[in-house]
Formats: sequence, C-alpha cells, structure tokens
Amino acid sequence: MLLLIQYTLIFASVLAIVAIGGCFSEHGGVINIGLEGIMVIGALGGALMMKFLPGTMAATAVMISVILASLLAGIVFSMFLGVAAINFNADQTLVGTAINLLGPAAAVVIVRAINTAQNPDNVSSTVAYGHAKKVFIVNIGKFEFNWFMPLAFLVLVCAYIVLYKTKFGLRLCACGEHPQAADSVGINVYRMRYAGVIISGALGGLGGLIYITAGVSEWKFENGVAGFGFLALAVMIFGQWKPINIGLTALLFGMFRALSNVYTGFDTLAALKLPSTVYNMLPYIISLIVLVFVSKKSRAPKAEGIPYDKGQR
Amino acid sequence: MQRVEQYAIEMLNITKRFPGIIANDHITLQLKKGEIHALLGENGAGKSTLMSVLFGLYQPEEGEIRKDGQQVQINNPNDANDLGIGMVHQHFKLVECFSVLDNIILGVETTKGGFLKKDEARKKVAALSEKYGLLVDPDALVEDITVGMQQRTEILKMLYRNNQILIFDEPTAVLTPQETKELISIMKNLAAEGKSILFITHKLAEIMQAADRCSVLRKGKYIETVDIKDSTPGKLSAMMVGRDVNFTVDKKRCRPQAVVLDVKGMTVASKRRKDNAVNNVSFQVRRGEIVCIAGIDGNGQTELVYGLSGLEPLKEGTITMNGADITHMPIRKRLISGMSHIPEDRHKHGLVLDYSLEDNIVLQRYFEPQFTNKMGFLRRKEIRKYANRLIEQYDVRSGQGAVTKTRSMSGGNQQKAVIAREIDKNPKLLIAVQPTRGLDVGAIEYIHKQLVAERDAGKGILLVSLELDEVMDVSDRILVMYEGEIVGEFEPDKVTAEELGLYMSGSKRKEKGVDE
Amino acid sequence: MNKGSKKVNFLRNSGFQTVTASLICIVLGLLVGYVVLLIINPKGAAEAIAAILKNYLYYPSPTAVMKYLGTTLVKASALLMCSLSVLFAYKAGLFNIGAAGQYVVGAGAALYFGLKLHMPWYVCIVAAAAAAAVTGGISGALKAYFNVNEVISCIMLNWISLYCVNMLLTRAKEQSAPYTRPLSSVNKGALIPTFGLDKIFANNGFVTIGVPLAIMTAFAVWVVLEKTKFGFELKATGMNKHAAQYCGMRYRRNIILTMMTAGSLAGLGAGIFYLSGIEQWMVQQTSVPAMGFNGIAAAFLGGLNPIGTVFSSYFIQHITSGGSYVDKTIYCAQISDLISAFIIYCCGLVLFFKIRLNRWLDDKERHAAKTQKGGGA
Repeated sequence: MLLLIQYTLIFASVLAIVAIGGCFSEHGGVINIGLEGIMVIGALGGALMMKFLPGTMAATAVMISVILASLLAGIVFSMFLGVAAINFNADQTLVGTAINLLGPAAAVVIVRAINTAQNPDNVSSTVAYGHAKKVFIVNIGKFEFNWFMPLAFLVLVCAYIVLYKTKFGLRLCACGEHPQAADSVGINVYRMRYAGVIISGALGGLGGLIYITAGVSEWKFENGVAGFGFLALAVMIFGQWKPINIGLTALLFGMFRALSNVYTGFDTLAALKLPSTVYNMLPYIISLIVLVFVSKKSRAPKAEGIPYDKGQR
Repeated sequence: MQRVEQYAIEMLNITKRFPGIIANDHITLQLKKGEIHALLGENGAGKSTLMSVLFGLYQPEEGEIRKDGQQVQINNPNDANDLGIGMVHQHFKLVECFSVLDNIILGVETTKGGFLKKDEARKKVAALSEKYGLLVDPDALVEDITVGMQQRTEILKMLYRNNQILIFDEPTAVLTPQETKELISIMKNLAAEGKSILFITHKLAEIMQAADRCSVLRKGKYIETVDIKDSTPGKLSAMMVGRDVNFTVDKKRCRPQAVVLDVKGMTVASKRRKDNAVNNVSFQVRRGEIVCIAGIDGNGQTELVYGLSGLEPLKEGTITMNGADITHMPIRKRLISGMSHIPEDRHKHGLVLDYSLEDNIVLQRYFEPQFTNKMGFLRRKEIRKYANRLIEQYDVRSGQGAVTKTRSMSGGNQQKAVIAREIDKNPKLLIAVQPTRGLDVGAIEYIHKQLVAERDAGKGILLVSLELDEVMDVSDRILVMYEGEIVGEFEPDKVTAEELGLYMSGSKRKEKGVDE
Repeated sequence: MNKGSKKVNFLRNSGFQTVTASLICIVLGLLVGYVVLLIINPKGAAEAIAAILKNYLYYPSPTAVMKYLGTTLVKASALLMCSLSVLFAYKAGLFNIGAAGQYVVGAGAALYFGLKLHMPWYVCIVAAAAAAAVTGGISGALKAYFNVNEVISCIMLNWISLYCVNMLLTRAKEQSAPYTRPLSSVNKGALIPTFGLDKIFANNGFVTIGVPLAIMTAFAVWVVLEKTKFGFELKATGMNKHAAQYCGMRYRRNIILTMMTAGSLAGLGAGIFYLSGIEQWMVQQTSVPAMGFNGIAAAFLGGLNPIGTVFSSYFIQHITSGGSYVDKTIYCAQISDLISAFIIYCCGLVLFFKIRLNRWLDDKERHAAKTQKGGGA
C-alpha cells in the first residue's frame, strides 16, 4: 500500500508538472504535442549533469544544478517548437511530432557519442547516475520520499497564482483566447507565446528528470519516457486547462500507472491473474475513455493551434 | 499669445500602397477637439486602411500624422494608445471567457508586487459607467452579456485608458434604432466633455443626427470634408458612390401563391447558453413573396436558419416544405428537394476557399449523374462546361476563370458565385442570409435585383437581414425576431423603421396575427 | 507574355515549388546530420554521411548491391503504405499520428493469422488491413461522435495497440526467445509469393509482390483523391468541414471512413512487411515501431502527393538503412533517425516559405504589370 502511494505520488508529480507545462503553452495559444520529446531531452540534461558532477558536491548544490540543467535543456529544445510555431506559422501538430522523434534520436546519439568517446567498446545508450540521484530521495521508514513530490505541489500552486492572479497570466490567456484582442491593447503576442512555450519547455524538461529518477539509478535513453508526455496531455485536457483540476487528474492517472508497478502486492489484484501488460495499458485506456466524456464540452483556449499572423487581422 | 491648436489629430496626405492597389491616395483627415467627425465611404474605400495607419499597424509611404499640431510617429498600437487614441472595432476585441473588468484592464493592469490589483480598477470602472450611463456588470463574463453591453465594455475600455480621441468603427451595425439613439447621445456627451470622436459609418441618417462634420472617401481617394449643417443625405451619398444611386428597389406588388415553407413551433437549443436560441417559432413562406426576418444580430436568426437547413437539429416543432415533412430530413435531401441556402458566412459555410471556382459551383451537385459517372468518377469536362455557363451568366469575375482558387477572388465575386450556384439550382425555396454583407453598392443593387427576379419567377424567398434599409426595401412581409421569438409581423409600407426598432429591441411585442 | 513572366510562372508552378521545397528539406536535414557528426568526431564525418547516403552501394559486388537494394525496397514499401495512410487522412483534415499503432495492429493480425490460425497469405493480408481499419475507425468514430481530438486518441491507441499485440503474439513466440516463430518454418503458405521478383534481387526471398503492390496502391490513392466523388468530398471536408456539412456531405461518415481507409493502408503495409518473412515480431517491445512515424515524414516530404511519397518513402528508408553502415566505433545508427526527424521538422516550415515565395512573386508580377502599363501610357 505504501509502495502504491509512493509510486502514485511520484508518477503524479511527473504528470502534473508536464501537464502544467502543456497548459502554459496552450494558454498562450501553442499546442505542444512535443512534450514527450522535450521530456527526453530534459531528462538527458539532468542525467548528464548528475553523471558528471563530482561526488563531493553539497547535496543542495547538486540538486539545484541538476534541476537547472534539465530546465535549461527543456527550454532550449522547446525553442524548436517556438520558432516554428510562432515565427514560421508551421503546423503545430507536425512540428510537435517532429520534436517527439527528434528528442529520443538526439538523446541516443548524444549519449552514445559520450559513451563511445569514454570507452570505444561502450555502445550502449545508458547513463548511470546512481550516486547523484540519492540527493533527491529521503527514506522515511519504508517510504521513499522524493523531493520532487513537494516540488510538484509547489509548481501547481505557482501555476494557479501565475495564471489567475498576475498580469502575466491574464495576458498569456488573452493571447491564447483572442490574440487580435491582446494585440489591440498593445500586448506583444509573439513574446507571450514564446513565454508560454519556454515555460512548457522548462516544466517538460523537469518532468523528464523526475521520470527517470523515479525508477532505477540509470537510464537507457532508447526507451524514451514511455508515452508520459502524451499521458500528460490527456491529464491536461481532462483537467480542462486548470491547474487544480490538473493536479487531481494527475493523482488519478498516477495511481493507475503505479498499479502496474505494484499490483502484485495486492492480493485481490494478483488473484485476478491478469498479465502485467494489462496494467501497462490501463492509463492509456482510461485516458481514452475519459476523453470521450470531456471532449464535447472542451474549454480549450480558442485560438490554440492557430498561428498568429500580424498581417492578417 | 499662445496659439490654441484647433485639431486634436491630423492625418495629412496619407498614402498607403499595397501590391497592386493604392489603398489610401493622399488622404487628409483633420479631427477637431470636441467634435464628432464622420468618416464616410463604401466597403473598400480605404477607411480601415486609414485607421490601421493611425494605429501604427501600417506605415504610410507618404504623409504625416500630427497630434495637437506636433508631428508624431506611430509605430504600433501602443504608440497610438500613448497618444490617447482609442477605438471600438467593428468586431469587438474582447476575450469572451474573461470578465468585463478583466477585459477593461487588459494591457494596462495595475499590479502590486506582481499581483493584479483589481479593486481600484473596479472603482474607477464603476465611476466611469455611472458618469456616462454605460451600465454593465464588471464581473459578468463577456460571453454571457448582450452585444450592446459588449459595446459598452469597449467604450469603457477607452475611457479607462483616458483616451481623448475615440474612434467608433461601424458601431451601429449591431444596435437597434433605440440603442443607436442612446449611443449617439453618449457620443455627444463625450464630445461635450472635450473628447474628439471619429465615427466611421456608411449610414447617412446617423451621420445627419450625430456628426458635426463629415469626410468622404471613395476608392482610396479623398473626396471632400463637409459641414453637416450645410449638407443633405443625397449630397453625401453622391459623394460616397460617385453617382446618384437609387436606393429603392424597383419591384411590382407581390402575388403570393401556395405555401412553400411552413414552420410550426420550431425550437432550437442554444449552443452557448442553457436556454433555447429559437423558441416556439411558427411562420409561413409562400411562393412569389419575400419574407424578411429582421432583428438585431444574435437573436436566434442564425439558429433559425441552421434549423431550417438541417445544420442543427430541432428540439421541437415541424418544418414542412412543399407539403412534405422535412423536419428530420438530412441536409442533402433538403437541398435536392428544392431548398437553396445562401449562407450567412460565405467563408465558413458557403465556399471551400481552397477549391477552384468550378468545384465550388458544383459543390452541391457534384454527385448528380451529369457530373459523376456510375463508377464514382467525376466528369470533369461536364463540370467545366457547367461552371463556365454560370460564370458567364452571372458575370462572376476572377483571374483565371473556372480554375481560379476561390480564395483569391474578391468578396463580391465570391458572393456572386454562391448566388449563382444557389439560384441556378432552380429552387422552390431560397433562404438568403445577409446576402449583401460586406459588399459595395453596385453588388448590393445586383443582388437585390436577383432576389426580386426570383420572387417574380414564383419562388418563395426567406431573407434574413440585419440592415433595416434592406428589410424595408426588399421585403413583402417582415417578421421581427427578438430573443429567439417572433415578436411581430408587418407589411413594409405600413410600418416605420422606428417602430420596427421598438420590436427589435424587445420594448414592444404583439402576438402574431394568426394566419388563415 | 514576355520572357520575364514565363520565368515567374515556372517558379509559381506548385509542383516545382513542392519538389524544390522537399529537396531543400533533405539538404537541410543532411546538413544538420553532418554537423552533428562533425561535433561528435570531425575525423570520420564525411565518410559517415557518405555511408548513410550510399546505403547498399557500400558493397562492392553487384549481387550484394541488388540483394540489399531488395531489402531496402521491402522496408520502403511498408513505409510507403504508412505514409499513404498519413497522407490520406491529412487530405481530409485529419492528422493520423496513429499510423504507427495501426501498423502494429496490422502486424499483429497478419502474424496471428499466419502463425496461429495457419491461414494463407491473402487471408492474412486482409486480416491485417481489416484489423487496422477497425483501429483507425475507432479514432474516427471518437472524433465524429465525441469530438475527441484524433491526435490524442491515436497516440493513446498506439500504446494500447502495442501492448495488445505483444500480448497476442506472445502465444506465437519461440520457446526461448522473445520473437515470434518464423513463418517459413510454421506456415509457408502465409508468405507472400514472389512471382520471380526474388530472382531480380539476387535471390532475396523477401522481395515479394508486396513491393509493386505498394506502388500500385499509391497510384490508386492518387486516383481516388483526384478523380472520384469520394475524393472530392473528402478533400472538401478536409479543407472546410463546415462547407462540407452545409452542402450535405455526411461529415461524420466521411471522417470514420477516412480513418478506416487510412488504418487499412497502414495495416496493409504491416502485412506486406511481416508476411515477407523479413522480420519477426519482438513481443517485449516497449516502444511503437518507428515505421508509422516515419510515414509522417515521408508523407510531408513527398509534398502530400501520393506519387511524391513513393520517392520520399524510398529516400527516408534509404538513409535509415544507410545508418547501419556508419563506423560503429565512432557513431551510432540513430544518426539517420535524427536526420529524418529533422527533415520532418523542416517540412513544417515549408508552407511558410511557399507562401513567402508566392507573395514575393505577386509583388514582382504587379510591379512588372505596372511598369508595362506605365510604358504604354
């Protein structure tokens, strides 16, 4: 049971943070299908930082620099989406898809290049970061507390405040709803949209980092992040682009995802003798069903996905 | 002695060229302090380009802009805002899911430590709306309030920014005559306070009522600026169009025959709100008459037509066309059995803009045996032949004839293509929704003539219009719609525009004369 | 018409623009790949990029060249089917990112029918197409009736399909390895016949009639889209669904039909690939095969033209296969994935450049017209 809570919380943290990222991007008017790819690159940034940091560094410093590395990697990578979607009026779905392919491919190429450079016989795409990962984890009894859990909560709270209580949030949402209106009162739509994409890049990168530190102490980048970026999109839609709902949805989805790791620990579930694959599928099936119910009355930002062209007003 | 500057804003000799056309050809517009200045011109006369120049959206090739006698450079809307220039756009620039207050403060938010401080803003808005009689609930969402209230929100937006130069772009298009009167009196109040108002319109009567002076543009050229007290509507219209126009439509008395459309108790659910958009509406259209649905935009006309054409299902009621019940008939069958529909939005419904002109002309008939063979292959030659015939007959002009991409055609010719398609189907019932929207006088005349000709050919015509002039000129019978219901039925020569306005705004209603 | 305008007209030709744009994308993609190789190790970069471009030409013997050309063609034909699937849906305004999942389902059905039910090859192929059509149809129906964004539902279905097929094919796997048993030993009848094609490709038995079948399908897709009533409706729906609805096209039916057709195309691709016996299914795969995603690349690189995709699919597969010829002690094969991903990215920018080019041409033409007029007056 404790294990279930632990896994639920950590998966929910990933989903919530990434979904909030997507939510910022979409409130600005840019659909970010590329979250999956951004997560991989963010994870790569964090993993490499963990790998190369000296073991003697103070725990807080390690934590901060690793997080910064993943944020930065995510931001830089999200610029691919930003430039194409905002300056080049590209089809956002197509570019997002390209980013999803680009992310894992680039990660594998980079990791292998590093591995091969260190040791010509090492052609794996694995990064080991065992020692540095420990700083994020505190064992409370049997419960493995991860600093990312409170961080995710903090992100949710901040997202709520930023979106609903600040000038920035008001302006960002205006750009996603009615960019012409925003432009007419002197808001720079391009800049706001970049801001949305940058935030989604940062949070996507961070989510990737959490995802890989949640499990084992090394990561094989060929595996990517197993569709978590897409699940986060489903969480965002089910959460109707609102931070609080996203938090709750993330918990729900996190639990279903966690079940596949720990279902053997529950007698009733184990007695069902379902293959583990069924539990792996569960979050995707659930999100498909959930989408059926929420999509009719969707409150997606009205102008999302539509390139803003100053000339066409 | 200090020279008192007479003009609040001056645009001198503005020239703006676009590839192929000169949108503004040495145009001069001088707005005095505290006056209401009308800017008159047809669609395409260059009014919106001129305003875009004023707001820094375009940079003119020639000419200069002066504020209080000082030359200024306006590079973007922010610069215009800093100079105290504000505008109520024809299509409101409001974020629908925001509250009225949020829309007002957007872009000029007051913050403390990064957080929004709305209390002061709320007080200021309350004071302004009281002072100028602009009543609107600051916490209501824009999507829930009426068009009139949305307009007030736009006006409050300008006042909140303390703008001194207020521009109204076609503000009365969405208002009833009564609301228009109120707006004019608000404008006069504002002018009396020393604010300068530019009033863009093509409605002569309103200019006569409201404006002090009027500048006229035609085809990108500056014609003249006149004092209203020395002018007449006839003079103004001649200046606007460049010739004397006959505003009334020549037509014989109608001779209604058999009923072609019979609607009973029609109710259509609203997409945006919980209540019904069309509520228990019953009426008839006969062959050989033009029945006009008048009303302010958003009172259920769109949904009524959607219900008739099958784009939306009915919640209750029946529709009978030519004696056959079509209530649950699929759209295609309705079209085949004699319904034609000139849609409200030709870009949304009427045309596939990226298709060629010929493909759009057969858009409703491509499946007929003359255009598609038994194997399901299109007969391109036949399509071309048919399209060319219609293009010639209805004088649809385009760059490359039948193969022109519809997107590249002018609005008037796009509309002609739609009309050609719908009329040539030889329908029994023609539903025309705002068929003249956004067109110039010549095209409007043409379309009105076509409608009357179709009527005389024995077709039933249901015209939905927001323009009272059109309603009065073209129709044989007028039904006024208000909040989803028909609140009155009139004959055009037995009612005045003012009286219609009372019904359109809901201040009066009468139970419909029971027919038969 | 003077000479100048003829030149302009040539530039304006949309076919010319599309081909040029695709070539630019390819060059940009290769350039990025080259730069990445340079960064990793400048010494062998030129050779590596040459190896990718050479693919099977790497072998000195003509027999080997033909043999591996055959293998590339087999893979390219599967890719072509996936890209046709993406293209077909895109013409109707739907983004079929689910081609990957439909491909997986097709593979599952084909192999299950072949290995478990011992059906002949043509039944297996039909099963593959049908199962994938159902998968596509689900996305279509969800979109038509519940307004579920097809991109999201397709992505979810990709994962669900993968897990389901893994589960299904576990029943037909080898005892000791996580691979499905080879068709050649279990049920030869399920292998698609070669009709002598293998002889041309140095007895490469994987080259079956699936290859010409794929090319013929591309042509068929072109005919359907350009010449038929169905294609007319479909494209109208894709360009403006409101107008399609207004003139009585059955919008919902069309969406479902489109997605089913798209699905069956991807499924067919999987069928002709796995029923050639070229590969066995790995039942522990944790990621959806890249074939469907590369199909997106090929569809866009081919300028969204069915005939264009024949070439673009071959090219993408060519460099993907070529990736395995780079010097493994310095580089890795995924560099090809990186290049093709970047090519898709560039395809996203193509539209923008086309619009810019046309605006520029408009300006020029008008300018020319004006000077001409001025001269005449």
